Amino acid sequence: MIEAAAVALAPRRAGPRHWWQGFLAMLRWEVTGMRLLLPLTMVVQVLLGAGFVLGIGLFFADIPARAAVFLSTGATVVTLITVGIVLGPQLVVQQRLAGTYDYLWSLPVPRSASTAAWLVLNVLIAVPGMGVALLAAAWRYDIDFAVSAAVVPAVLVTLVAGTLLGYALAHAVPKPELVQLLTQVLIFVIVGFSPINYPPENLPAWMAGLHEYLPFVHMARVVRASLVEGLVDGVGRSYLVLAAWTVVAAAIVVWALRRRK
Amino acid sequence: MTAPAVRGGPGYWLHGYRSMLRFEMTDLRLYLGLALVIQVLIGAGMAYMYGFYLGDLPPDARLFLVTGIPALALFPVGFVMVPNAIMLHKYRDTYDFMRSLPVPRLAASAATFTVFSLLALPGTALALFLAEVRYDVDLSITAMVVPAVLLCSLMATSVGFGLAHAVPNPRVTNLITNVLVFAVLLFTPIVVPIDFFPDWLASVHRVLPFHHMAVVLRASLSDGLVSEVGVSYAVLTGWTLAGWGLATWAIGRRR
Repeated sequence: MIEAAAVALAPRRAGPRHWWQGFLAMLRWEVTGMRLLLPLTMVVQVLLGAGFVLGIGLFFADIPARAAVFLSTGATVVTLITVGIVLGPQLVVQQRLAGTYDYLWSLPVPRSASTAAWLVLNVLIAVPGMGVALLAAAWRYDIDFAVSAAVVPAVLVTLVAGTLLGYALAHAVPKPELVQLLTQVLIFVIVGFSPINYPPENLPAWMAGLHEYLPFVHMARVVRASLVEGLVDGVGRSYLVLAAWTVVAAAIVVWALRRRK
Repeated sequence: MTAPAVRGGPGYWLHGYRSMLRFEMTDLRLYLGLALVIQVLIGAGMAYMYGFYLGDLPPDARLFLVTGIPALALFPVGFVMVPNAIMLHKYRDTYDFMRSLPVPRLAASAATFTVFSLLALPGTALALFLAEVRYDVDLSITAMVVPAVLLCSLMATSVGFGLAHAVPNPRVTNLITNVLVFAVLLFTPIVVPIDFFPDWLASVHRVLPFHHMAVVLRASLSDGLVSEVGVSYAVLTGWTLAGWGLATWAIGRRR
């Protein structure tokens, strides 16, 4: 009779040290994995941000100051959002198509650590684009930005919310083609139909009202408040709305990652 | 046994043209649906979007904007859909098959031009209609709208066609078309006068076809907003011939 030998399983690793090691490992993984694409992506972000700022200015014979400020601060927000909401899902789609998606999520790293690593990568990609867009705007439209310390939490909250929203989209929607289509539509809506790059009074009232419940205009408000003075009020409320959306997106991500296929 | 005679002559050419037309039209319903969506998004969608960015516009500016919308709606079919269709052949490895069909190359290309140039018309009309309603402008549509639209559509199709055949790597073509859409939507004097642009950029646009597309279409839809329309027609014709030349060279070369 064969007796099954008692198998000594390795102790399950947990705790903050394990999390931190996992985070660092995944960060290295992400950066190494993107080492060819990363410089290109950063350059594209920079060009998109600055290009947008300068290009829209061409549509005005003489761009009014208010429009210029909204455009400049809005373009920085758009560069921040597009990294999380557009680039993120596209990468996940590629991973799914290449078959590496399941492998990545089977790695013995806490899921929150993987997500955090991805967030840090997004910061690396997005912030230079934001900086250049602001510089281009300051030069072209002669704007004096009053950059306050609030820019750090504003940018972080925007990036976290955007990244998690993109993550939620990419993980919750099973078909890659649908994800790509949704990201295209989303970028169209964000750039054209959200009062990010222009004041909300330019939109029909119902659309402006709808945006009070969506995260985009609030992202614009918190970042704009940290870059210029006196243009935005109700910043606290915007932070709350963004926090709520972040929680919703995180919940969707947790649900999507936990479910069995 | 004697080799079969090489077929030629106008009857053969026409037969080949008709066959390729039928071939292109198998996907027609899909293309038409896709074209309508893209054209309405880029045409009418951008009309709304520009309006949000620009705020309240005086009537002249609104008319200028609306008469620029057909140019926006026309260019994606030639500059994006045609290259995409050809890229698809390259990705699926059916490109060589298409080239090997016993049809005169010119006839096959002519069929592509015909189908895609005409394909762009409904979406353009729809985008223009939506923009006209949104901005409440009065268009003075003249008979010149027919040659204007046909020439612009043919030019866009020809240049897109030539580009897609000339660039061997489909990923590069994809990159070019994406950059093109971005550049055209943001950096071209289609919905705003060319005077708004710095001199160097305006000079570039007098060479590129986009501004001229807007000019000929605007001239056919309104009164007195544009001048030197003949120059624009000439430039567009030049670009169409350049597209054909590029395609001829690209298709004819040995790989």
